[in-house]
Amino acid sequence: MGEGTLPVVPGIASGADAGAGYAPSRGTYLETIHSWITTVDHKKLGIMYIVYALIFLLVAGSEALLMRIQLAVPNNTFLDPQTFNRMFTMHGTTMVFLVGMMILFGFGNYLIPLMIGARDMAFPRLNAFSFWISAFGGLLLYYSFIGGSGLPGTGTAPDVGWFAYAPLTERAFSPGHTIDYWTVALLASGIGSIGTAINILATVFCMRTKGMTLMRIPLLPWLYATTSFLVLVAVSPLTAAQVMLMIDRYLGGHFFDTQAGGSAILWAHFFWIFGHPEVYVLVMPAFAFANEIIPVFSRKAVFGYPAMVAASVGIGFLSLGVWAHHMFTIGMTSVGNAFFTLSTMLVGVPTGIKIFNWLATIWGGKVRFQTPMLFSIGFLFQFLIAGLTGIMLSVSAWNWQLHNSYFVVAHFHYVLVGAILFMIFAAIYYWYPKMTGRMLSERLGKWHFWLMLIGFHMTFDLMHFPGLMGMPRWIYTYDASRGWGTLNLLVSIGGFIQAIATLILVYNMVRSYFRGALAGPDPWDAWTLEWSTASPPPSYNFAVEPVVASRRPLWDIKHPEDPDSAFE
Amino acid sequence: MSEISQSIPPHDPHYAPHGDAHDHGHDAVHLPAPTAWPFLMALGVTLIFAALVTSAWLGVLGGALTLVSIVGWFRNVLPHEAHEDIPVPLEIMSYVPTLEKVARIEVSEEHRAQFPLETFPVSSGILGGILGGIAMVIPAEIYGVLRYHSIWYVVNLLGGAGVGGWTNPTIAQMSHFQLGAFVTANIIQGATTLLVGILYGAMLPIWPKRPILLGGIIAPVLWTGLLHSMLGLVNPFFASHIDWASFAASQVIFGLVAGYVVKKRGRLKRLAAVPLAVRLGVETPGLHPTDQDPSVGTPGLHHPGDDEHTGGGEG
Repeated sequence: MGEGTLPVVPGIASGADAGAGYAPSRGTYLETIHSWITTVDHKKLGIMYIVYALIFLLVAGSEALLMRIQLAVPNNTFLDPQTFNRMFTMHGTTMVFLVGMMILFGFGNYLIPLMIGARDMAFPRLNAFSFWISAFGGLLLYYSFIGGSGLPGTGTAPDVGWFAYAPLTERAFSPGHTIDYWTVALLASGIGSIGTAINILATVFCMRTKGMTLMRIPLLPWLYATTSFLVLVAVSPLTAAQVMLMIDRYLGGHFFDTQAGGSAILWAHFFWIFGHPEVYVLVMPAFAFANEIIPVFSRKAVFGYPAMVAASVGIGFLSLGVWAHHMFTIGMTSVGNAFFTLSTMLVGVPTGIKIFNWLATIWGGKVRFQTPMLFSIGFLFQFLIAGLTGIMLSVSAWNWQLHNSYFVVAHFHYVLVGAILFMIFAAIYYWYPKMTGRMLSERLGKWHFWLMLIGFHMTFDLMHFPGLMGMPRWIYTYDASRGWGTLNLLVSIGGFIQAIATLILVYNMVRSYFRGALAGPDPWDAWTLEWSTASPPPSYNFAVEPVVASRRPLWDIKHPEDPDSAFE
Repeated sequence: MSEISQSIPPHDPHYAPHGDAHDHGHDAVHLPAPTAWPFLMALGVTLIFAALVTSAWLGVLGGALTLVSIVGWFRNVLPHEAHEDIPVPLEIMSYVPTLEKVARIEVSEEHRAQFPLETFPVSSGILGGILGGIAMVIPAEIYGVLRYHSIWYVVNLLGGAGVGGWTNPTIAQMSHFQLGAFVTANIIQGATTLLVGILYGAMLPIWPKRPILLGGIIAPVLWTGLLHSMLGLVNPFFASHIDWASFAASQVIFGLVAGYVVKKRGRLKRLAAVPLAVRLGVETPGLHPTDQDPSVGTPGLHHPGDDEHTGGGEG
C-alpha cells in the first residue's frame, strides 16, 4: 500500500481494538429499556424500526399462510369467509404500512447519517416521535382484533381490503368500529411517515459532511430523498380521504356516500394517488440497497452514477402520474385510459436504465457470490419480470381482462416479495455486521436464499396461471370444477417453503447476535463512510467529521495510490 | 495483503470534533440528550385517536399526556437544547483491502462494440425519425385510399383511442375526420418515430456491418412480426382491422429513410473523454494535442486508453 497524504480524513471510531466496535455499557434490564425508550440516536431508532417490522413480517406472513391453507384445496372451510376477509385486509395493510414502510425507514434512519458523515438525523427528537407514533399506530390497528366491533358475530379486525373501497366503508355497510380502527391507525402511522420524510430530506440536504457534494453522496441517500419527497406528496391525499371518511361516518358527510350524491370513485382516486406512489416509496429503498450492494460484491464502482440519480428522480416524478392504471375497469374515458397506459409504460424507461446500469456494474466485475449478492441477483431477475408483467397490465385492454385476478396478485407480489423483500434480506445480510458487530452465518444465509428462491418462484410464478384462468382475487374458496386446485395447492406449498426460509433468517439473526464471528469495521471491503467507523458504531458515529473528496471515500483511504478523487 | 491503520489521540491538534466539543478539551462529542417526551407525546396522540373508537376518557388522558409532552419537549430544547457529552477515547481503525492493485479493463481501440469511437449526432436521429415518420405514412395512406377511399381511415385506426364513445366504430365512422383520433394518432406517431429515430442514431454506429440492411429492413420486419403475434392480445380491434402488408411496408420505409438520413448526416468523434474546454470549443494553445503533433490524433477523438479508469475494478 502506498503511503502519503490521504485525500480523505476518515471517520474514526472509538475502541482500542479495531474489531471490537463500540460496546455500550450494560445496565439493568430497566435501564436498558429506559435507554431504548428515551433514545434519540438514529441508530437505535433504526434498529427499533427494523425489529418492529420483522415482528410484523412474521405476523403478516402467518396471515398469508392462513389464507394459503384456505385456498390450497377447493371447497375448503379452514377459515370462515369473514375471517378470510380480515386476513387479506390485515395482511395487505400490515405488509405495506407496518413492514415495508417501517423496515425501509429503519434502514434509512440507520444508514443515512453514517453514509453522509453526520452525527445524527437533522431532527433527532422528531425522529423518535415519528418512530413511536408509527409503532403505536400499528399496535392500535392490531388492537382491533380485541376491541373492534362490527356486525354481530362478524366484527373485530378490518375486513374491507387494504384499499378499503367506498361505499363498502360507509356505516350502512360497515357498522361498528372495524373501519375506524383501520382509519385512525393509518392516520397515526401517516404522521410518523411524514415526520420521517421531513427528517430524511433535511438530513440529506443539510447535514452532509465537508466535501460531500450532492453528486458525491452515495446513491442510497439520493434514493431515500426521492422516496421521502414521494411520501410527503402521497400520504397527504390518503390522510385527507381518511378524514373525509370519518366525516362521512360520524358527522353526516356524504363524500363517498353514493346514495346521497357522493362519489365512490372519488375515494378510489384519493386512495390510488397515494397508493401507487406508495409502491415506489417501497421499491426505491430496495433500489437503494441494490445500488450499494451490487458494486461492492462486483468489485466495481456503480455504472453510470449520474444516470442512476436522474433515473431515480425520474421514476419518482413519473410515479405521481400513473395512479389511475389501478382503475381501468372503473370506467374512465378512452383519453384517460390512453394517458394512464402511456404514462405507466413511460416508467419503464428510467427503470430500464437502472436495470441496465446494474447489469453493467456486474459486467466484467469480479463477482463475489455471498448472500447479499445472491439476494441482489435474485432481485434483478425478479424485478425485471415484475416490470414486464407491469407493462402488460398497463395496457388497458389487457387490464380489463385480468383486473382483480390472481394474475394481478402475482404481479404485485413479484414486486413486493421478489424485488423489495429480496433486497430487504440482502440489506439485512449486508448491514447486520455493521449494526451488531457480528457476521451472519453464510451457510444459513445460503439455505435461506435458496429456499426463499424456490418458494418464491413456486408460489408466484404459478400464481399467474389461476389468474389467467379466471380466478379472481379475494375469493374465499372455489369449486373443484374450475380446475384451479392443483395450481393453488402448489402455490400454498411454495408459501410454506418461504416461511421456512424466513424462519432460518430469524434463527440466523438471533444465533449470530450471540455467537457470530466478529465483523470488524469493514467486513465486505466496502467504500462508503459507514464502513469507516466501528461495528457497531459509537453513538457519535465519527470522532472526527470525515472530509470526502470522491463518491467512494473509503476506497480513497485504502488506495492512496489510485484514489477516485483523482478522477472527479 | 496489507492493513491500513490510523490512530488519532484525543489531544491531537488536528482533531476537531463536532460542535462545541472544543469546550470540553477535545475529548467529548456533543449529542442531543435522551428524552422521553417524544415517546410520551406519540402515546398521547395515539390515545386521542384510540378514543375515537374506544372511550372518551382515553381521549382525555391522551390529550393531557400530549399537552404535558409538548411543554416538556419545549423545555427540553428551549432556551438551550439539552445535550450530553460523549467521551471519545483513543481511536484506532484498521482497513484491510482484499486486493492491492487495481485492474484496468484493457480494450482494443478497434473494439467498437464496447467503446464506439464515433457516434452520430443526436440531431441526426431526430431528423431521421421525423423524415422516416413522414415517409412511412405514404404506404399506409395508399392502402387507406385504395381500400376505403379515405385518408382518415388509417389515422382513425391508429388514434381511435382518442375518440370518446367509440366502441367498435363502423368503417363509415372511421373514414371521416375525427379530431380526437387525429390528435392521438399524431402524438403516437410523433413520439414513437422520434424515439426510434434517436435509437437509430445511437445504435447504428455499434452495428458493425450493413447498418441500413439491419436498421432499415431486418429490424422493422422483426418488429412487425412481434407486433403481429401480440397485437391481438393488446388491441384486438386494431389487430382485426390492420393490413399487415402495408403495415410492414410502412415499417420498412421508415427504417430505410431514418437509417439513410442518420447515416447521411455523418459521424462525430466521441467527445465525452476530452476536457470541457475542448467540448466548449475554447481555442487555447496546447489544449489540442494535434497543435503539436498531427499524428497523435484528431482533436476530440476518444482513445480508449485515455479514460480506462473503470472506477476501481479489481481483477
